[in-house]
Amino acid sequence: MTVQKDPDGSEKKYLHKFADFAGKRVLEIGCGEGRLTRQYANAPHSTFAIDLDADALRVAVIDKPSDLHNKVHFLRAESEHVPFARETFDIAVLAWSL
Amino acid sequence: MVHTLSEIRRVLVPNGILIDLRPVLDRWQIEVISAREIREAGRMQDFPLGLADDAAANQSVARAAENGWLVREQEEFFPFVYSWDSPKQMEEWIEEEWEGFIEPDQESNRATRSAWALADGDARVQVQMKMLITRWRKLEG
Repeated sequence: MTVQKDPDGSEKKYLHKFADFAGKRVLEIGCGEGRLTRQYANAPHSTFAIDLDADALRVAVIDKPSDLHNKVHFLRAESEHVPFARETFDIAVLAWSL
Repeated sequence: MVHTLSEIRRVLVPNGILIDLRPVLDRWQIEVISAREIREAGRMQDFPLGLADDAAANQSVARAAENGWLVREQEEFFPFVYSWDSPKQMEEWIEEEWEGFIEPDQESNRATRSAWALADGDARVQVQMKMLITRWRKLEG
């Protein structure tokens, strides 16, 4: 089945309108297969993207572009127990998750 | 959901930003689109389960704001398109991914198939989702 999501790129446009990711430390919650992550992850200093779905995370890792290798990290974690210390991130992105 | 927002507040630096990005049910429009034209074919029906999800999300962010955890700075709606090769593919997707949340009503299904039958060879079927993006800021201290 061929489904296209957001062929006009509206989501990316609005994401960058609402936040300046340049050089920031970013946490993304509910990253799934990393579709949204790939739309901004070039800009931040580092991105940690979490989800509970192990299969989706496997796809996210496989699809991660090589230039993001050291900048983006996909982890399996619950959003109610984020495995990071206090005041670690400049930006949090709740991706279709509330 | 409130726990998630509490965790976000914990890991954000003072003055840090939360971007909340999510679809909002609003009888999303179904269209048959080709290079030559766009035909509006109908709308989705919103089911109670999906509407309850939206209400719960709204309550959670309202609670976070009441608690003084976060301050809403900017908010906007924008369209997010899902597009398929045919009405059948759209119906299969809805059954697999969105069952219980939304569904085209019978009239919209009929109208979509009619529009499809009359459409050009390059036509696709699409749903215009309504997306909400909000920027919140964590207060200092």
